[in-house]
Amino acid sequence: MRTKTVFSLVREQSVFMTAIMGLLTFLAVMALGIAIAIGTGAARWNTQWDLFATVQVTNQKNESDVAKILNTNNAKIETIREISNDEMLQLMRPWVSGGGVLKNYLPKMWEVRFKSESDLNAVSDKIAPYGRVLTHADALQTPISAGWKMMIIAGLILALTLGAITVCVSYIARNTAMLHKRELEILNQIGATDSFVARQMQIIVARICVVSCLVGFLFAIPVLMLIISSAHSARVGLMAMLTISVGGWVCLALMPFAITIFAIWMTRRTTIKILQKE
Amino acid sequence: MEEKTIISFANVAAAYDNATEVLSDVSFNISSGAFYFLSGASGAGKTTLLRLIYQLHKPLRGQIKLFGKNTAELTRDDIAMLRHKMAIVFQEYSLLSHMTVFDNIALPLRVRGIAESKVKKLVAKVLDWVGLGKYADVKPMELSGGQQQRVSVARAIIVQPAILLADEPTGNLDDENASRLMELFIQMNKLFGTTIILATHNKKLMDTYKFPVIHVENHRVGFVGKSSNVIPDLKKVWKGPTPKNYFTELSKQFDDIGNA
Repeated sequence: MRTKTVFSLVREQSVFMTAIMGLLTFLAVMALGIAIAIGTGAARWNTQWDLFATVQVTNQKNESDVAKILNTNNAKIETIREISNDEMLQLMRPWVSGGGVLKNYLPKMWEVRFKSESDLNAVSDKIAPYGRVLTHADALQTPISAGWKMMIIAGLILALTLGAITVCVSYIARNTAMLHKRELEILNQIGATDSFVARQMQIIVARICVVSCLVGFLFAIPVLMLIISSAHSARVGLMAMLTISVGGWVCLALMPFAITIFAIWMTRRTTIKILQKE
Repeated sequence: MEEKTIISFANVAAAYDNATEVLSDVSFNISSGAFYFLSGASGAGKTTLLRLIYQLHKPLRGQIKLFGKNTAELTRDDIAMLRHKMAIVFQEYSLLSHMTVFDNIALPLRVRGIAESKVKKLVAKVLDWVGLGKYADVKPMELSGGQQQRVSVARAIIVQPAILLADEPTGNLDDENASRLMELFIQMNKLFGTTIILATHNKKLMDTYKFPVIHVENHRVGFVGKSSNVIPDLKKVWKGPTPKNYFTELSKQFDDIGNA
C-alpha cells in the first residue's frame, strides 16, 4: 500500500533538493571513486616494487663475496640483472660530466627481484657486511606518498560532500518546517506525534533522494571511467596503475544508498529537533 | 453512565507572552459525559480556555488534569496520545488547503495508523452525514465558509473523541445547519458519552438547548445552570425530520477496527 503523506514539499523545494542531492551524490561518488582508484593504484604500485631491490657494492674487494652470496641463494631469486657501467653512466650523466673522475668509482650493481619478502630479508642480511641492498619501494617513497596524499584529498572531498549533504538536508527540513508551520500545527492538534511528523518528512526526502542519488550515480560512473582510462593512457608510473576493483565498484554502488539512508536519518533528527524547540 | 472527572482545573492562570493574564485562578471540574456551553464576550478568554484544555497553551500557573493525568508531567508524545482521545473544532476551520476534503477528514485516522480500507469507509460515512459526499475530491478553499466548518466538524467527530471542544462551530452556519450540527453533538454526547464544551455567542442556541454554561468574564470562570448530564429530548428541541442514526453506524465501524 502506498504510504499517504499528509504534507509535501512545495515544487521549488522539491526541484532544488533533487538538483542539489543529485549534484552532491555525483561529487560523493566521484570523490570515493577517485580515492578507491588511487588507493588500489598505490597498493598495486607498492606490491610491484616490494620485491625489487638493487644490490650495491662500492668496495671492489667485496664484489666476489656478494656475487657468491647471490649465486648460492639463486633459489630465492626470481630474476637478476647486472647493471653495466654504461647503463650506470647513462643514469648518472648529469653528475658524471666531462672527464669526470667519478666513473672510476662506480659501484658494482645488480637489480634483483626476489621471490618473497622473507627471501629479500634473508639475502639482505647476508649481503649486509659486504654491500647495500636498497629496495625499490624505499626508493619510490615519494610517488607512493603522493598517491596516499591524493587519496586523503579525495577522502576530504568526500567528507566535505557528506557535510554539504548534512547542511542541505537540514536546511530543507528547517525550511519545510517553516513553510508548513500551519500544517505542522494542525498535525499537532489532531494528535500527530513528533515521530509521525518526522516519518512524513522522511518519506518525502526518501522519494527525492532515490531519484536524485540514482541520477547522480549514473552521471558519475562514466566520468569516473573516463578519468581512469585517461590516466591509463598517460602511461606514467602510479597514474597507469589507477583502477577500481570489483569490491570498489560495489562500494561505489552502495554510496547512493548510504547517502539516501544518511539523508533520511538526518531528516528525522532535524525535524524532531525543530518540533521539540517549538 | 458512570460519571468521573475528566477535566480538572485548579487555580489555573493563562497569559500570552507573560503579559496581562487572560484567565486567572480558574478552578472547575467537568465530569465525563457532560455537555457545556462556553460563553463570554469577545476576548474574554473562551478560546484560551479551550486551548488550555486541549494542551495547545501551557498555563502560567495552576494545575490541569485530563483523564486524571497531571498535564504538567506529560511529555510531548504523551500529550499527542492524549489528543487521540480529544478533538477540537476551531473557528477558523484549520483545514489543510492543499488536501482534498476527503484527505482532511481522513487525517486524524491516518495519524492514528488506521488501515486505509477502514479510513475510506469511515470518511465516506461522515461525509455523507455532513452532506458533503459530492465534495470529497474538492479542495477546502473551493467550499463556502459553512461547508468548510462542516469539514472541520467531520474531521473532529470521525475519531469518536471522549472530549470534544468546539470554538464557535455554528458561527458560519445558517439556522438549519446550526441545528443539524447541534443535533450531531447531542447524539455524540448521548450515544458515546462524549464530553462536549461548545463555545458560542449564540444566545438563541443556548436558550434552545438548555445545557449548563461556563461563563468567562473578567478573566474568571463561572457556571450558570445545572451541571448535569441531562440531555434534552431531541424530538422536543429539533423540529426537523428524525436524523439517520449516523453514530450507531459509525460505532459499528469503530468496533470493526477494534476487532481487526
